[in-house]
Amino acid sequence: MLHDLCGRTHQVSANEDIIGEGERPENVHLVMEGFACRYKLLSDGKRQIMALLVPGDFCDLHIAILGEMDHSIGTGWGCTCVKIPRATINDLTTNHPRIARALWWATLTDEGTLREWLVNMGQRRADKQMAHLFCELLVRLQTVGCADEDSFEFPISQSDLADTLGVTPVHVNRVLQELRAQNLIVWRSKRLQILNVERLKAFCDFNPNYLHLTRRANGDSSE
Amino acid sequence: MVPTPALSLNMLIRKLESISRLSDEERRAIERLPITGRHLAAHQDIVREKDRPSQCCLLLEGWACRYQLLSEGKRQIFSFHIPGDIPDLQSLHLKVMDHSVCTVTQATVAFIPHEALRELTAAFPGIAAILWRDTLVDGAIFREWMTGIGRRSALEAVAHLLCELYVKLEAVGLARDHAYRLPLTQADLGDALGLSNVHVNRTLRDLRDNGLITLHGGKLQIDRWQELTGLCDFDATYLHLDRGAV
Amino acid sequence: MPLYFIDTDDDVLTVYDDQGQDLPGPKVARDMAHLVLPDMARQKLPDSDRRTFKASVRDESGTVLYVATLTLVGEWKVEPPAS
Repeated sequence: MLHDLCGRTHQVSANEDIIGEGERPENVHLVMEGFACRYKLLSDGKRQIMALLVPGDFCDLHIAILGEMDHSIGTGWGCTCVKIPRATINDLTTNHPRIARALWWATLTDEGTLREWLVNMGQRRADKQMAHLFCELLVRLQTVGCADEDSFEFPISQSDLADTLGVTPVHVNRVLQELRAQNLIVWRSKRLQILNVERLKAFCDFNPNYLHLTRRANGDSSE
Repeated sequence: MVPTPALSLNMLIRKLESISRLSDEERRAIERLPITGRHLAAHQDIVREKDRPSQCCLLLEGWACRYQLLSEGKRQIFSFHIPGDIPDLQSLHLKVMDHSVCTVTQATVAFIPHEALRELTAAFPGIAAILWRDTLVDGAIFREWMTGIGRRSALEAVAHLLCELYVKLEAVGLARDHAYRLPLTQADLGDALGLSNVHVNRTLRDLRDNGLITLHGGKLQIDRWQELTGLCDFDATYLHLDRGAV
Repeated sequence: MPLYFIDTDDDVLTVYDDQGQDLPGPKVARDMAHLVLPDMARQKLPDSDRRTFKASVRDESGTVLYVATLTLVGEWKVEPPAS
C-alpha cells in the first residue's frame, strides 16, 4: 500500500520552495532524494533553518492536522519528492492504526531532533555544534542507505550551514578550518568525509538516543 | 507527597477545548480517567532522561518544564508547561525518555496510566487527534525557539517568549488583560533562550525602562502589547490556537 | 559584486578566509567582520583574563581594508583564594 504512493515523484529544482509559510498544502511531501529544509525568514531578512530533511522524511505531515504552515520548506540544492494527497494520509491514519502509530513515531522523533538542535544552539560551542550536526546526519543518512560508513553527499553551502547553526558564515568558515586542522573532517566537492567517526562523536558528546533508532531499525512498534 | 483529595480533570478538558470542542461523551470519558494525584515541591524531577515511564503526567496546578542537562553542567530548557498540559505525552509512543521533566513551581500533578490513555484514544479518535495536534504545536514552539536562539537579538527573544506565554495562558483562561503570574527565574529564562542570566536581567530591565512591561513580585504586566509584539515580530500562527477544526 | 575575504584570529588560531564572499561593498564587509566577533567570543569565553578577537577585511588584491578588534581585559580587584 505504501508502495503505491511512490509513483508520483517530482523533481524540485534548487532554490525552489516546496511549500511557503501560510500555505495550506493539499499534498503531503515525502523526500526521496537530496536535501530539503524547514526555514523561517524574519522581517529583517535573517533566516533560520530549523531542520534538514533527508530521504524518508516527511516535509509536512503535521499540516494535515495543523491546517496552516507556520514556516516554509525549501531546497537550496534540488531534491526529489513524492506528493501524497492529504486525503490519502487521512485515510491511512484513520483506517490503519499501525501506520498511524508509525507516523506518530516519525513526528515524535522529528521533535526529538528539534530538541537536540535547541541544545546545540543554546548550549554547545559552534565547533561542537557543527560536529554534532555532522554526526547526526551521518547516522540519519546511514539508516536510509544514503551514506557509507564515514561520508555522505552534502550539497549545502557554508551560508546555509550558518543559517542552520545560527552563526555567521564567516564563523562557519573559521570552524570548518578548525575541524579540518584537527583532522576531524574533510568537506570537498560537496562530499563530507568524517576522518574518524568515533573521535568526532567523542569530540561533540554525540549520543543518538534522541533519534530513537531501535524502533526505526526493526520497524516495530515495541522498542 | 500527599495524594490530593479532590482532583479535577477540568484543566485538561479546558486545555483540550482550547484546541477543539469535545462532545459530552468525550468529556465524561476524560473525567473517568483513573488518576493518581501528587503534590510536588518546586524544582523536583517528574520524569528523567532514560526513564521508561508507564504513565503520563498531567499538570493541574503550577508550572513545569522540559529540559536536558549537558555534561558540563549546562542546562537547556525546551518548553514551559502550564496547567492542562501533559509534558511527557510522547512517552506513550517513545518508550525511553530522551529528556527530563521537572516542576518550576510547587505543583499538583495527576498521573494517568499509559494503558488508560491508550484505551481513551482508541475509543475516541477525536481526543487522539487533539492530543496529536497538541504535540505538533509543541514541535512548532521548538522551531520558534530555535529561530529565537539562532537569529533574534536577546531583546527580541525575551519579548517573544513573554508574548508566547501570555497567548498560551490566555487560551486556557489563566491570564487576561495582558497580565500573568510569571514564576520563572532569570536563570530559567536564560536556559530557555541560550542567554546568560545576567543578560536576561539586562534585557528585562531594558523592556521595563522602555515602558513595555512591568514586572513586580512575580507578576508580569505587558503595558504596551502592540509595541512588544511589534518589537519581536510576534505572530501567533505557530501556536495554532485560532483554528478549532481538527 | 566584488569578492571580500574576512580573516579571523582569536590569539590561538588564525584563519585565512579561503572562500571569500561577494558583497556589495566594503561597508557590508565591515559589518560581516563585526558580526563574527561575538560568535568567536561566545566560542572561547569564559577563558583567561586577556584575549583579543580580530576580524579583518581583505580585498581580492590582498589589501587589508579594515580591522575590527574585540578585546577582553579582566582584572581581579580582590585576589581570589588559591584553589
